[in-house]
Amino acid sequence: MIFTQVIVNSIIRASELTLLSLGLTMVYDILKFANFAHTEFAVVGAYLAFFLSVTLGLPTVPAAVIAAVATGFLAILIDKAVFKRMRNSAGIVIMVTSMGVGIALRNTVRAIWGADSRSYTLALERPIVTQWFRITSLQVWIIVVGAAAMILFHLLLHYTRLGKAMRASSDNPELAQASGIATETIVTYVWFIAITFASLGGTLIAMETYIVPYMGFAIIIPVFCATIMGGIGNPYGAMLGALVLGFAENLGLYFNFEKIFNLGGLLPFSRDLFIPTGYKPAISFVILIFVLLIRPRGILGKEKEG
Amino acid sequence: MGFINFLIYLAIMMGIFAILSVSLNLQYGFTGLANFGQVAFFCLGAYATTIVTLTFNMSFFLGIVASMFLAGLFGYIMAIPTSDLREDYWAIVTLAAAEIVRIFFLNENWVVGGGPYRGGAYGVGDIPQPFRSHFSPQAYPFFYLGIVLVCLLLTYLIVNRLTNSPFGRVLKSIREGNDNLAQAMGKDVKKFRIKAMSIGGIFGGLAGCLYAHYYGFISPEQFVPLETFIVWAMVIVGGEGNNKGAILGSVIIIIFDSSTRYLKDYVPIKQDTLASLRMVAIGVLIVIVMLFMKEGLIKEKKRIY
Repeated sequence: MIFTQVIVNSIIRASELTLLSLGLTMVYDILKFANFAHTEFAVVGAYLAFFLSVTLGLPTVPAAVIAAVATGFLAILIDKAVFKRMRNSAGIVIMVTSMGVGIALRNTVRAIWGADSRSYTLALERPIVTQWFRITSLQVWIIVVGAAAMILFHLLLHYTRLGKAMRASSDNPELAQASGIATETIVTYVWFIAITFASLGGTLIAMETYIVPYMGFAIIIPVFCATIMGGIGNPYGAMLGALVLGFAENLGLYFNFEKIFNLGGLLPFSRDLFIPTGYKPAISFVILIFVLLIRPRGILGKEKEG
Repeated sequence: MGFINFLIYLAIMMGIFAILSVSLNLQYGFTGLANFGQVAFFCLGAYATTIVTLTFNMSFFLGIVASMFLAGLFGYIMAIPTSDLREDYWAIVTLAAAEIVRIFFLNENWVVGGGPYRGGAYGVGDIPQPFRSHFSPQAYPFFYLGIVLVCLLLTYLIVNRLTNSPFGRVLKSIREGNDNLAQAMGKDVKKFRIKAMSIGGIFGGLAGCLYAHYYGFISPEQFVPLETFIVWAMVIVGGEGNNKGAILGSVIIIIFDSSTRYLKDYVPIKQDTLASLRMVAIGVLIVIVMLFMKEGLIKEKKRIY
């Protein structure tokens, strides 16, 4: 594989991760708990999109959008039924509860669609081939949606009333409430936006590969890793984390570690040393540990909490 | 006879999972460490004893020692870089660490001696059952149940002793988010977290060892994150911060899990769908207990001094 292709693959991966890590960090920012059901919502969205496009025969784009909106409403519903009752509980208690919600969601999906993997019946098409890389039109879509999500999110946060209210409730919920910001309304919007992004991310990942009920577990570690690396609760950190991780995963497998082990040819040792593909999921974890050792609150994380 | 064998099987599973949940309870219920990678201890214990008794053909007791040592060491190593992290970071780091352990055994078949269709995703079979030749096939399950119960009893007594000691009180002060209090008393919070994880690991490894010798076959498939969450359900339902609660929780979840397995004879639902619905119920159960009876079935005895 040539190097430019590795870069393109990294950008694709980063775009997928951004869609998921942005939502995770948003919910954390407002509600102060790590939502372990986050990636399960992405799986629910991917299956809904699958149902709409494959079973009902809708075109792919409206199917993905409707599925994302529906999953967003589902998140609001679950928030009203479960998380709303726990607003004053400790973060660890809500986190454990979200894990229970995640188990229930994943297995509901599995009960309905079965445990086998399925794929969307996307029209087969020739990838765009250039001198430096090849890319499918779906992958172009992934990059476009990822970039659009980042820009939209930035605009939302800084140029809308909702965004300002969100930042205010994140900094100091009591003060925000005292200033007339309806914190509960903000929470509802945050869930909707976060899970809509997650659902789109899940759908795109599933379209690029395949869809299984256990997809949530396959992506939870890279998504959390990207979010934490940038500093959990910080949206720009989540974007940066996704980018770093996207490159790390792809470069890690591309890079030949031979030169490191024989010190650039000094030692009489010459053997190709690549990270085995089976260990790809481990890369994100190792990076996470290193980042946490050096900066326990992430790259862009605040040094101390207020 | 079939029914009695089934009851023995249930009791053995309850015993093994009770050890696991007492171990998790020490970490979460008493110390407030959200270990989402409990299955790593279970997995390491199972593989350690398999390597010792099968690959090196050594005794069952060495297998137990190796399991407990390896899993305890893993808990220690895992706790060093993470011991000053916040609980949410802790949760994801432990979840990831457990996945790395599983991925390691999935990719490296040489650790169990290698060979065609052996190790890695194929798993390892023919794990010897201790003292098998001294018993008739009918009597052996009773004997193994005895081993499991003795191990559970020892685990319970040791952990109970620990949690009722000054050591346990420091753990509880850490759980209450009161690092400052513990520090003011001259306790190094970091060291106590590492100790809680190591001890949790030792007993988690013991459970893994007992599991491997009982089943006789292990593969990375058996150590997916789902297992961790089943143990979590046991601790939460039984009552966090209470060792009896952890044991009761494992009894309840195992009964629930096994009784619904036989529903397929009575309701026209496919087995796989039923398995999914069972897990939906466990997820909902965790949510309901967390919402409405946070302390679980057996409440923690909180003493006021």
